[in-house]
Amino acid sequence: MSTSSKNARLNRKFDQIRRMEESGELKKKKSGNRALRKLLNNRLAIIGGVIFLLILLACIAAPLLTSYSPKAVDMKSILKAPSSAHLFGTDKIGRDVFARVLYGGRMSIAIGFGSALGCAAIGVLLGCYSAYRGGWFDSLMVRISEVFMSIPQLILVMMLVAILGQSAKNIVIIFVICGWGSCFRMARSQVLSIREEEYVQSLKVFGLNPFVICYKHILPNALSPIIVNVTLSTAMFILEEAALSFLGLGVPMEIPTWGNILNAAQDMYTLQNNWWMWLPTGIVVSLFVMSINFMGDGIRDTTDPTQQG
Amino acid sequence: MLLIITFIIYWLLDLTPGDPISYLMDPEALARLSESQVAALRAQYGLDDPFFIRYFKWLGRLLQGDFGFSSASGVPVIQIMAERLPATLELAVAALCISTILGSVLGVLGAINKGSIGDNVLTVAGMIGVSIPQFFFGVCAILIFALHLEWLPVGGRTDPEVVNFVGRIKYMIMPALVLGISMTAGVMRYARSSMLDTMNKDYIKTARSKGLPEWRVNLVHGFRVSLTPVIVLVGFRLPTLIAGSVVIETVFQWPGIGSAFNSAVRSQNYNLVMMLALLFVFMTLFASTLVDILTAALDPRVKLNG
Repeated sequence: MSTSSKNARLNRKFDQIRRMEESGELKKKKSGNRALRKLLNNRLAIIGGVIFLLILLACIAAPLLTSYSPKAVDMKSILKAPSSAHLFGTDKIGRDVFARVLYGGRMSIAIGFGSALGCAAIGVLLGCYSAYRGGWFDSLMVRISEVFMSIPQLILVMMLVAILGQSAKNIVIIFVICGWGSCFRMARSQVLSIREEEYVQSLKVFGLNPFVICYKHILPNALSPIIVNVTLSTAMFILEEAALSFLGLGVPMEIPTWGNILNAAQDMYTLQNNWWMWLPTGIVVSLFVMSINFMGDGIRDTTDPTQQG
Repeated sequence: MLLIITFIIYWLLDLTPGDPISYLMDPEALARLSESQVAALRAQYGLDDPFFIRYFKWLGRLLQGDFGFSSASGVPVIQIMAERLPATLELAVAALCISTILGSVLGVLGAINKGSIGDNVLTVAGMIGVSIPQFFFGVCAILIFALHLEWLPVGGRTDPEVVNFVGRIKYMIMPALVLGISMTAGVMRYARSSMLDTMNKDYIKTARSKGLPEWRVNLVHGFRVSLTPVIVLVGFRLPTLIAGSVVIETVFQWPGIGSAFNSAVRSQNYNLVMMLALLFVFMTLFASTLVDILTAALDPRVKLNG
């Protein structure tokens, strides 16, 4: 008696689910990536994403937004305050600051993103293989990365700048040399835990090439923290480039980057009287870095279940 | 570890252009020497020896406190270090205190009131704090407090007229606060998550169920335990602090090692660059060892060499 009523109830439930499935209600609810949905629910990450896209698109579309060249010297309009002709005013030799911010953004973002990608590429390649391989290779690589990480990063960067000289290409190379360590460690610790999974053991038994196991089968599972790392280190490198150029040690002065524009603020007179030369740029840099940080945090919260709270 | 780094630094020093004799000797004395005397000196310093022998000789001189000369001013490097180190330490210690105290208090407050408006505001503020370039923050502070309000001096460490410590504090407030506050955000985030971790532990529930007042649970039982990771973080933050001091010292014209390093890099004063870098590395390693010992003392679960 009781079993039949139970069965009837279960059947009713099952019918209901099937009906929903057929009418498409259930599918609609589940469509879309779960992580993506979670990311869209994170308000800060959305705000960050919007600001990020705005600044990025503005920099890419720089020639459409301003008719001035970032390098064109115009001695007739020196140190003009912001007006409709020059949105952010002009600097000491009549260059349009707005154009410089946009074109400088291209350079700064390229340097930051390029360095972060370079670090990730080297760090992941070495980290995955070294964790999978273990043994002397692993301990040697860990030692090397420790040496690099024990030297304060900015100090190492400045040392290398002193030796290699200043250029945009050198800055990226130097950033990669100094920054691959953290990505290496992250990739290594990820792979170390995945290495013990059963599917890896069975791949090994199949006799697959260790490189194939390592990069094709393990790496994709370790990717999400690495993506977060790339995002956050892009922000870090943009800040570092700005600090270096502010000190006059970054990209050569004639190439506009955010740091080079901010370099103007070192002069006390400019600082006090020509606020438009440095304040808008500083705000743009801060906003951009902040938006990347918000996005990075958002991605981490959605992909890493241990990092909530 | 230190040995490997000295080796790398010597290797880099060896790669840099210029005759090494120029930074081993007082430049003025060197200018007065004849060609053959220079050759004799080269032999005496063993500059024509193979690389490894040169390295060990250099290391030996280093251990005896002979760091060579600054090729720009002809002052022995050790003298520059002795003049500038106290200023940097002064600034670093002040900033460390500010950021640790402010960061852990705010972080703990955020964790106790998790999810409240105050907590959210603090989290967002922390994020903004991480994102603003330190020098930009410093420059804004100069503009507001030194140039507009004229409360504080623009930069430097002291006046010729001011000799006592109280007079010097005025100069220290701004750089120390800027460096400290810019580092607070990181500590705050860390203290918050550490405190949240602790608050979920069983013994906190026990303390609550005993009927202890809430502040006592938070302070005595929670805060004390969650402090250990925060102290560990101090060790990790030292590189940031040092990097920050290079930037901040330049912004405020603070006569410390950071600004000396910056101007040495600019004028390609290689020997000075390398020696100061070595000093920075030494300071970092020393401090992280100190933190290891401190952690072992605070937390019985951690053992040295365990």
